[in-house]
Amino acid sequence: MSAIPADDIILEGVGLKKHFGGGGLLSSPTIVRAVDGVSLGIRRGETFAVVGESGCGKSTLGRLLLRLIEPTDGDVRYEGRSILKLNKSELRGLRRELQIIFQDPYASLNPRMNVGDIIAEPIWLHNLASGAEKRERVADLMRTVGLLPTHSDRYPHEFSGGQRQRIGIARALAGDPKLIVGDEPVSALDVSIQAQIINLLEDLKDRFGLTLVIVAHDLAVIRHMSDRVAVMYLGEIMELSDTNALFDNPLHPYTQALLAAIPVPSPTGRQPKALLQGDVPSPAAPPSGCRFHTRCPHARALCKEQHPALEAAPDGRRVACHFWREIQGAGAGSISAPPPSAALAKRLALYQTWRERQDKPVATSP
Amino acid sequence: MGHEAVRQPSAEVHRIGDAAVASEPPLLNVQGLSVRFDGAPKGVNVVDDVSFSVSKGKTLCIVGESGCGKSVTSLALMGLLPTPPARIVSGTAMFDGRDLLTLSERERADLRGDRMAMIFQEPMTSLNPAFTIGDQISEGIVRHRKVSKAEATQRALDMLKKVRIPAPEKRMRAYPHEMSGGMRQRVMIAMALANDPQLLIADEPTTALDVTIQAQILTLIRRLQEETGTAMILITHDLGVVAEVADEVAVMYAGKVVESGPVEAIFDDPQHPYTIGLMGSVPSLGRRQGRLATIRGTVPPAELMPKGCRFTPRCPFSDDHCANDPPPLAEIKPGHRARCWYAPLEIHRGAAS
Repeated sequence: MSAIPADDIILEGVGLKKHFGGGGLLSSPTIVRAVDGVSLGIRRGETFAVVGESGCGKSTLGRLLLRLIEPTDGDVRYEGRSILKLNKSELRGLRRELQIIFQDPYASLNPRMNVGDIIAEPIWLHNLASGAEKRERVADLMRTVGLLPTHSDRYPHEFSGGQRQRIGIARALAGDPKLIVGDEPVSALDVSIQAQIINLLEDLKDRFGLTLVIVAHDLAVIRHMSDRVAVMYLGEIMELSDTNALFDNPLHPYTQALLAAIPVPSPTGRQPKALLQGDVPSPAAPPSGCRFHTRCPHARALCKEQHPALEAAPDGRRVACHFWREIQGAGAGSISAPPPSAALAKRLALYQTWRERQDKPVATSP
Repeated sequence: MGHEAVRQPSAEVHRIGDAAVASEPPLLNVQGLSVRFDGAPKGVNVVDDVSFSVSKGKTLCIVGESGCGKSVTSLALMGLLPTPPARIVSGTAMFDGRDLLTLSERERADLRGDRMAMIFQEPMTSLNPAFTIGDQISEGIVRHRKVSKAEATQRALDMLKKVRIPAPEKRMRAYPHEMSGGMRQRVMIAMALANDPQLLIADEPTTALDVTIQAQILTLIRRLQEETGTAMILITHDLGVVAEVADEVAVMYAGKVVESGPVEAIFDDPQHPYTIGLMGSVPSLGRRQGRLATIRGTVPPAELMPKGCRFTPRCPFSDDHCANDPPPLAEIKPGHRARCWYAPLEIHRGAAS
């Protein structure tokens, strides 16, 4: 995982802005600044995560990066070329290489098409194969994501949530993409199904050499999957860092607060927490200066007046806070999940052993 | 095995959930509750032989994935199940000397919102969009207490202060759509606690909320519970939330309790393969430990439910015995029960690896 070169950027956002609204003829103009000046580069072969609370603009950013919506300002570069100036046919070619998986698999599948046709559509659209070859490819894709090819004539409503998400993944893979954006790909699923999909995404990434951009709010999922993380708040990046560095030593007070709020899955680690007060302010009227100052426990007069830049910190990290050097020493935030108890560790290992045997029952018999 | 011998004393201490605690009977004692939906195959109940108890001031967490019957259980207790299609087949739920399941509709309505109250997952759909927050909270007070409108309004205002809503006087006149998700959930809690209930049932109270708001609400619930001594049943799928708030835990799978016990026992010494698989499925917050453990497949539909242990088709340890004979909820250690033929697993299933 560490072998990803830092300068091989596959997809880049430069000063991206997306403002919604502006008001109709009779209404007063309210402009929602969903994404407000975001620059980031995604390295080839990495898993990049964008995390934040609802309304922070993370999904909008994901869509901007694929040009599913047009930015108000800024540029998106894929392989060094701006994708905003492409014409329709060029854009169609691009769609093959950049794909997206949505949160709600049911809402994103056409209920009147059978699964085989849903997966075959990108293949047909890009003239990749036809006839028997196309059918073979669909069957192949279904096997790849863990569905039975014999189910290709069924309709989306006949599948469970986890299986529908697999259909969505198969469709995304159909055009041989280079990069996939997952917009909360597992948050609508049950825990045991979530683990299956996470493992599947990781396997596919290795197998097809994909770059993944995961937009999510679940920090445990992000820690597990991603190489680098961008933490967003009210349309801006607050901190951008390697995943392990971010979780071991969060620099920005918002990151610290987010980490502190995660429930720790161990009853022995219960302790009173320093909690963030209040709600996220409306993105239609973001606070002046640093957007986090209304909830920040370390806020000072300067934070209200001056907007902090996303400045460079050691180890290639970036943080948008005037006082991160001082706050860093406060020791807040870093989370330490206690290791599993001896009994749990032992049984988990036993479970894994038997689980592998369950997947290939012929290879070994107990 | 030396490890388990060491744990024995701590398990002795936590016997709260056991109905056998002599000094004080539990506030709510559910025994053998089974609920059936019309049209389901014979012998397959959505909730099957569920037993648990909650004592005053304690929190029981019911954990499980969608469709495991945790919400149906809570709705049955509140008397909110639509009948038909749902029918309570058997069981008792003794609450303060009365069986909740045999009460008339009128008696239930007197209990609901007064002695026992419920908080739902999605506050926007459980609040009436056409009435102000103040009216909705005082409505419940007027229904159950002999008070004037003005006294009820005052009580509602006190409740909003208690759940720490900023500018409560102003919020009394606000409509639900004018508030954020976290604030609405606070209103729901204020409404539920307005008549000082002895039992609070919270069905996924924080699932729809952001993580920082979730932490606020959990802290609030816990603080209020300490102040009032209310017993709570918290229904959730999030093991992190369970670890934060539970005293006792019941893990449900496909309508049955598969494991129950004190929270420390469940997390430090899980016995049922489903509990273990569930814990392995949750990504760790520490450094990456390799691939996640997974539970194969999904919950089988009712018509394919195995006649033995319902976890058989997904369980890595299962065999013919599991498929044919339903295991009992056997006591592994005092207060800690698991519904598995092969618990503890390292004894019955360790050698073969």
